[in-house]
Amino acid sequence: MEVNVNEKAKRMRIPYIIMRLLTIIAAVLMFFPTLSPLNFISQAGQAKIKPTASLFTSAISYKELTDGMGRAFDKGWLNETYFILMFITSIIFLLGIIFVGIGVCMSLGNLRMKTVGNRSLFGGVLTMLAGMAGMFGLYQLIINTMNAEKITVYFPVGMPLYMILTMLMVILGVYIFVATPKADKSEKMEMETKYKLFLMLMPFLALVFAFSYLPLFSWRYAFFDYEAGGELSKDNFVGFKWFLSLVQNPTYVKRIVRVLRNTLVMSGLGIATSWVPMFFAIFLMEVKSVRFRKLVQLFTTVPNFISWVMVYAIAFAIFQTDGFINTFVNQIFDTFNVAEVLCAIVNNFSDIVNTEGAIGFINKVFGTKWDTNYLMPTDFMWVKMLLWGIWKSLGWSAIIYISSIAGIDQQLYEAATVDGAGRFQKIRYITLPGLLPTYVVMLVMSIAGILSNGMDQYLVFATPNNKKFIEVLDLYVYNLGIGSGDIPLSTVVGMTKSIVSVALLFVANKVSKAIRGENVV
Amino acid sequence: MATDKEQAKLEEKLEREYEKKHKKKFKLTFGDIIFNIFNYGFFAIFTFSCIFPFYYIFINTISSRDAVIGGRVTLWPVGFNIQNYLDILNVGTIFQAFGVTFARTLIGTALMVAATGLIGYLVTKDEMWNRKLWYRFIVITMYFNAGIIPWYMNMSMLGLTGKFAAYIIPGIVAPYNIILVKTYIESIPAELEESAFMDGAGFFTVFRKIIWPLSKPILATIAIFGAVGHWNSFTDSLMLMQESPELFTVQHLLYNYLNAGSNLAGMMNSGTSSNTGALETLLNAKVIKYTVSMVTIIPILLVYPFMQRYFEKGIMLGAVKG
Repeated sequence: MEVNVNEKAKRMRIPYIIMRLLTIIAAVLMFFPTLSPLNFISQAGQAKIKPTASLFTSAISYKELTDGMGRAFDKGWLNETYFILMFITSIIFLLGIIFVGIGVCMSLGNLRMKTVGNRSLFGGVLTMLAGMAGMFGLYQLIINTMNAEKITVYFPVGMPLYMILTMLMVILGVYIFVATPKADKSEKMEMETKYKLFLMLMPFLALVFAFSYLPLFSWRYAFFDYEAGGELSKDNFVGFKWFLSLVQNPTYVKRIVRVLRNTLVMSGLGIATSWVPMFFAIFLMEVKSVRFRKLVQLFTTVPNFISWVMVYAIAFAIFQTDGFINTFVNQIFDTFNVAEVLCAIVNNFSDIVNTEGAIGFINKVFGTKWDTNYLMPTDFMWVKMLLWGIWKSLGWSAIIYISSIAGIDQQLYEAATVDGAGRFQKIRYITLPGLLPTYVVMLVMSIAGILSNGMDQYLVFATPNNKKFIEVLDLYVYNLGIGSGDIPLSTVVGMTKSIVSVALLFVANKVSKAIRGENVV
Repeated sequence: MATDKEQAKLEEKLEREYEKKHKKKFKLTFGDIIFNIFNYGFFAIFTFSCIFPFYYIFINTISSRDAVIGGRVTLWPVGFNIQNYLDILNVGTIFQAFGVTFARTLIGTALMVAATGLIGYLVTKDEMWNRKLWYRFIVITMYFNAGIIPWYMNMSMLGLTGKFAAYIIPGIVAPYNIILVKTYIESIPAELEESAFMDGAGFFTVFRKIIWPLSKPILATIAIFGAVGHWNSFTDSLMLMQESPELFTVQHLLYNYLNAGSNLAGMMNSGTSSNTGALETLLNAKVIKYTVSMVTIIPILLVYPFMQRYFEKGIMLGAVKG
């Protein structure tokens, strides 16, 4: 008898696996707005603007479900009761999936656990069926009773998909419920540790999937002629049109070349100055006063922890027309009457030389108010951006080198001193070689990130004037997608960037392996 | 904590004694003096450039408005008063933005730290079904991203645009922090856990009673990094909350103020304040920019000195991993 039960239970393995897969598919599908079986109504004449609630959002937020339907309710084109019923049916469907989910999770346990789980599974599939039936009924009902002049009903693509899925799950669920042998009630519910641990991790894996892997699915916009609020269909499928236009359409080409130039220049400058933190650390360690050193470290790391918005606020405060520099200079000139004093001095020489030009110059420099706006001019924009970047990160980036220096064997320095090595010789022959491995890793990583300058810095400093110098790839993608609403093209650019970046990372890893015999990734 | 501090003090003392002892050996040459002047000079100037802007903005916010407009505030406050800060309390939008940012910093950080601790422990467990696969599944996401627009489309597909949850949920699983915590937990002697399991403790008991307390240093580190990140974030607010100004973060608001310039009047009117007198005086754009900047930065500057050693610990742990 015992053997028989176990064998029967073993035979259920495959149905369970299929059930688990179907549950995952159903759960994921619930998040796709276009596939929601409830999205079949739009106001006539506005065929393009369709409800955007996925089945999941429909079930948790009535507001989202009825988004844009307010007018239809007010004017009596549509009975709001239908929407309340839709809300209820979607909640029922969601509950069904949750019960099924609990059931399949418990199916990882022993037979007793499976038995209890199967009840949840069985109840769940029936609830799903009820919800599904309700949705289909509502669809039929609305078709027959709506005001056809004002309301358009189109066929919900998701409806048959969900129906098939629900039917499969119902059949399988009932089969599992019936065919699994019942466990002895005295048995304790147990689950193997390996599955227990996995189930604990699973919710987090779902989050990772939703926020890191699912966005990849949105790459599909790169292949469609999509406009915000529209939808994807066979009609607006354009294949590689956007990819080609990026290298063929002269306006795009011009802009892309400019953006790439900015990106590479900024990254190039960053790489060219990547040694600065290392030397910052080396020279800081040459400072003998520990207290001074700690003070420097304390204050120079502060800028790393403020946002780029705040950096921009600082730029404002210091370099604006009425910022610190101008105010300070004006105050000094006013207090000491610099112009008058200088003019008086120059006038003393009026017998020997013609002083008119000199006095004019002095009055121009010292006599008038200083009101230069140092932020607006676009000269040396790249260098300015680089300097802001260095200002923000220098103290922080140096920490890692400071710790590395502390880790270098002190005996080396003592031996070198005995041999008569000077300060710079010690740096040259001991400190630098000691820091080189760390530096190489940093360098390799920055080469891998050559296309990613980050967006924040360039976004906050961007003005219409300096745009042609500071629009880097990340900012371009943002401007194109969010600013101009050109979603397909910005997806294409972003997608290409992502792929190239991953490729670069592999190369960087290979390089690092060749140089140091170690992976950086 | 106390022992950590004592340790640090002791180290410093030893270091100082070491320096003292060795000072006698070296005689400063002329070259050394020149070098020291330049060296100390450079660091003094750079350090000054790192703190002076904050000081300058601060003294502007506590000076009288006339003095600020007249350009008389440069090195110290003129006509001390705190009216600006009192006025800011009256502007509903700013207050609300602070509420939102505080909430997201607290909730977001707490959830992230709790989740990271748990995940970090889970992925050290070899018994887990396909442990390596899941660990890689999480960690590999550090090295690719779909791009900003697919991310945005995804968020709107998930129905998170214009919702407070959009600040919290995506940040719960932080792969880099998970690596840090996992590495740290692996360094905890396995015997501690084993003996607890022997005594019949369950997984969660072991996690709560042994792993969590022992990994507090690393958890504190990631908590601080997470909190600073939340406090400073503005691109998510900028992109996802376009139609929900009540959910703007302070950084987003500050960004708007900095960009708005003369448009400030209009933005003020949309504030919920009824105190129009206070609003009018606040229309001095420069001062309000400064004041909002200052309020944005003060929390970070306040906790900064206490947190600094955690920051350093964090970057070193990150380096060890590489």
